[in-house]
Amino acid sequence: MSQSNTPGVPDVDAMDVDRMVESEREDPESVLAETDHSTDLGLAMAEDAKRVGRGELSSERFWAKYDEAASAEFGEAYEATPNPAVDSDDQTIDEAAAESLSCSVGSMDSVAAELDESEAAEASQADADADGGPTYGMVIDLQKCVGCDSCTVACKAENRTPPGVSYNVVMEEEHGEFPNVSRTNIPRPCMQCTNPPCVQVCPVSATYKMDNGVVNIDYERCIGCRYCMIACPYGARYFDFGESYDDEVMEADEITSPEYGVDRDEEGRVEPVGNVRKCHFCHHRLNRGEEPACVETCVGDARNAGDLDDPESDVAQMADSDRAFQLKEEGGTDPNVYYLK
Amino acid sequence: MAAETDSGRLEFDTDFGFTSDRIRYGWYGLLAILLLVGAYAVYLRITQGMASTNLTSTTPWGAWVAFYIYFVGLSAGAFLVSTLSNVFGMEGMENVDRDALFAAAISMAVALLFVWIDLGRMDRMYHPFIWRQITSPLAWEVHAYVAYIAVLVTELYFAMRVDLARLAARVGGWRGTLYRALTLGRTDTGEHARERDETWLKRVGILGIPLAIFLVHGGTGVLFAVAKARPYWNSGLFPIIFVVSAIVSGAALVMGLYVLRSKVLGGDLDRSLLDRVAKLTAAFVLVDLAFFMIDMLIALNSLHPHDVETWLLILTGEMAWSFWLVMAGLGWAVPLTLLSKRSWRRTPALMLLAALSVVVGIVGVRFNIVVPPLIVPVMEGLPAGEYVPSLVEWTTSAGIVAVGLALYTLGVELLPLEPLGDDK
Repeated sequence: MSQSNTPGVPDVDAMDVDRMVESEREDPESVLAETDHSTDLGLAMAEDAKRVGRGELSSERFWAKYDEAASAEFGEAYEATPNPAVDSDDQTIDEAAAESLSCSVGSMDSVAAELDESEAAEASQADADADGGPTYGMVIDLQKCVGCDSCTVACKAENRTPPGVSYNVVMEEEHGEFPNVSRTNIPRPCMQCTNPPCVQVCPVSATYKMDNGVVNIDYERCIGCRYCMIACPYGARYFDFGESYDDEVMEADEITSPEYGVDRDEEGRVEPVGNVRKCHFCHHRLNRGEEPACVETCVGDARNAGDLDDPESDVAQMADSDRAFQLKEEGGTDPNVYYLK
Repeated sequence: MAAETDSGRLEFDTDFGFTSDRIRYGWYGLLAILLLVGAYAVYLRITQGMASTNLTSTTPWGAWVAFYIYFVGLSAGAFLVSTLSNVFGMEGMENVDRDALFAAAISMAVALLFVWIDLGRMDRMYHPFIWRQITSPLAWEVHAYVAYIAVLVTELYFAMRVDLARLAARVGGWRGTLYRALTLGRTDTGEHARERDETWLKRVGILGIPLAIFLVHGGTGVLFAVAKARPYWNSGLFPIIFVVSAIVSGAALVMGLYVLRSKVLGGDLDRSLLDRVAKLTAAFVLVDLAFFMIDMLIALNSLHPHDVETWLLILTGEMAWSFWLVMAGLGWAVPLTLLSKRSWRRTPALMLLAALSVVVGIVGVRFNIVVPPLIVPVMEGLPAGEYVPSLVEWTTSAGIVAVGLALYTLGVELLPLEPLGDDK
């Protein structure tokens, strides 16, 4: 079996791909038959264009062969479209034609200068805003949370966490005495602290804070000393004791999660057994532009994820509201998970 | 066992081993059993991984970490006792100096074995030397331990070299070869060379004192004290208590070894030296007790829920016996009673008892440092921990301690850990 480094991409070789393309490819004859133009001319031009591509036919000879026929077939539209192979010797189109097609052109120098300017602008933007990219945050509305634990379940399903490892839990607090009781459910993912104590204490820098605000763990570096678990004020870190649901659920180990964008189900890959694990806002989903699984699944729409740096974003506005608070605010960790009371 | 000497005439005793073969074989037999049981337990630990422990994600540190800080403390304490002679020139202490250094080196090796077996990925034990984190006390500690072991070995070398050279000149066979190798080629036993050794012994000792106090053991205390998530540890006094209880256990260890050595290996016992070491131990037990009380008072007065809860757990919880009987009883009450009377302090058997009591009592101290704050959950609503070490944890620990004891016994049988007499 060949090694595939790209998570989620099936393991197929070039032959398989060719076969798949072949079976998906539409029949050119039937496609062309649906148009108003000549099917035979289209097929012939396509066949010869392939030969030009393979270098068996020069483009001069191709156009010598078809220019007239194409002109007759397509008329005005054909004349108005610039053809670099015919219109000029150096295979470029002239400025007027470019203008008419709204392409901007110029000397290499002027294009490079423009690029420099836009890069400089980006850099200054980055200076103003530390890292430039987003800072992912989460806002959990405790008034909307019904304590159904589906976030916990969605997380386990998404990240395929083993027994004893639960990146998200829902803490339940009961207040008052019967009959005047109330209950608060506090879902607890990793807080992705701005000042993470776990990162401070890791002796090998295996856990680190990303520019996007997410605290990750390098499973290839972690020595499993568990100091980070000691240091975490939120109990958000779990040790992987190597347990499995395989006894309870048939083939539970057959599917693994591409945590941090790495598939770990193939031979030779590092298993996080003996490492510390934690919620990473479904980093592999964030990279695909998706929300963390817990946010997507929340039945009461209590959980929200987004860019805290963008003042227009929902999470930034909610995190700014009077109802917003963080867990253990006095600890100076400055979590990127906010709660609405 | 007759000493082999080149002239066939006994000049000074070159045989440091057991005086009784019955004790020797009994002792090695016991160690062999412990090592075999330990080896099987280590096999289980490696094949089953951390699942062989009773640790959980709520209580991620347990017996192994407790033993690790215990042996680091024992080592730092024994080393500091050794400096009383070779740095501060306290009279009579040169008789226990090498033994203290050797015990310190063995304890440190044992401590590192405990750190190693505790790693989730034992195969990655070298990672801290490749990747670092400047804000992590554990990252500094790893380096401090290496430097500290270098100091201990260097100290031991300068303390023993002259006697090693004298032995190399008189003993033949493999022992002679061993002694010659250990002198590293410096076989000069003249007055000048002797003074040079003493100078270097003092210099390295002076370097070692801050290393042992602030980095090795104080640093191990810092390792816990920086964990703000556990208010029980998060106090400025914590690293100081660490150092004081280290000195308590180190002084007691040296005292115990001194008595045992004369009982089992034969040799003179200087009762006034025993009295001096005993007083030193008593003084440090009192300081330890006082700091402990201050720390408790600060914690209870803080009214911080997690802190107060942890203290109540220690004093009244399910494992309170380990505090009252082991920590307070064996660690403080028994030794303070035994050390209180001058005539008792000069009775070797009682002092051995006091020493053993302290050395076991401090194990209780270390367990009560590590475990209780990991039982109380960091947030209301999270599960509370429950932890008693598993059989694998106990037996691997016994095996690792047996490794230390075996190394120490071999050293005692082979090395001039007590100064050789003058030529007769």
